[in-house]
Amino acid sequence: MIYRASVDALASGDLRIDVASADGGAVVCTWTGKSNDRSPQLVLGPWFETLLAAKPARIEMHFEKLDHFNSSTITALIRLIQTARAKSVKLAFVYDPNLKWQRLSFDALRVFDKGDHAFELVSAS
Amino acid sequence: MTSEFQFSLDLPVRNEWRNVELLRTSVENCFQAVFADLDGKTAISMVTGELLENALKYGDWESADASQFRLKVEGDRARAIVTVQNPVKPGDPGLREVLDTVAWIKTFKTPGDAYRARLLEIAQGEGEAASRLGLVRVAYEGNCAVDAQVDGATLTVIARMTLS
Repeated sequence: MIYRASVDALASGDLRIDVASADGGAVVCTWTGKSNDRSPQLVLGPWFETLLAAKPARIEMHFEKLDHFNSSTITALIRLIQTARAKSVKLAFVYDPNLKWQRLSFDALRVFDKGDHAFELVSAS
Repeated sequence: MTSEFQFSLDLPVRNEWRNVELLRTSVENCFQAVFADLDGKTAISMVTGELLENALKYGDWESADASQFRLKVEGDRARAIVTVQNPVKPGDPGLREVLDTVAWIKTFKTPGDAYRARLLEIAQGEGEAASRLGLVRVAYEGNCAVDAQVDGATLTVIARMTLS
């Protein structure tokens, strides 16, 4: 099964998130640039909702190429984890462990990995 | 501080959100030019960005003197201090939140414990306004001791970081 990406890429300020389809009904979202908006939830929240409404089998958020995000973006990502779990959409965050800031930021999010594969953290190397 | 590679920036900041990114990347580039330390430059720039965002979110930008908004970054090869000073309204709930958050961080054994506790609190709450994650992130990801002090209508937040 191939997920047909029905959600447009997001471009907002210094941030871009590209969307692609993958095998097994998964959707791959690749973050590039910087997420430094004052209230990123205002942009990311509705975009995440659209993504979840398409009911993909799995969403992979790839952060390896992202230069920076602020703490308000982390808050928005926590909301996504909660919403995806509530909607039974599997979610994975893929990060670059060779970048110390990504290792620290994403390792801390393991508090949301309950071992049920609803939310997973994936080290890219 | 040792004199080797000692650095110091001290400048007034206009209270515009876009200046956070301008200054964050400026500090990052300055640090890169002096030390070529990828992890260190990322950490010090993150701390700078979060403290500036904190000031813009919780500062008093209506009744106070906006020229009190200042950024200072100083240090050497081993350590750095990032200080952000901004006008506040005494008794303002936002100011109380900042001071309470700094005190709250110190109740934990490690900054990592505080950070994970805050992540779980955010997950249990709603909305974004009161996430108060920035200062906790400074302590955890920046490996900083965070202090805050109020002098009249001026808040000073100081992050002292050890560079590896």
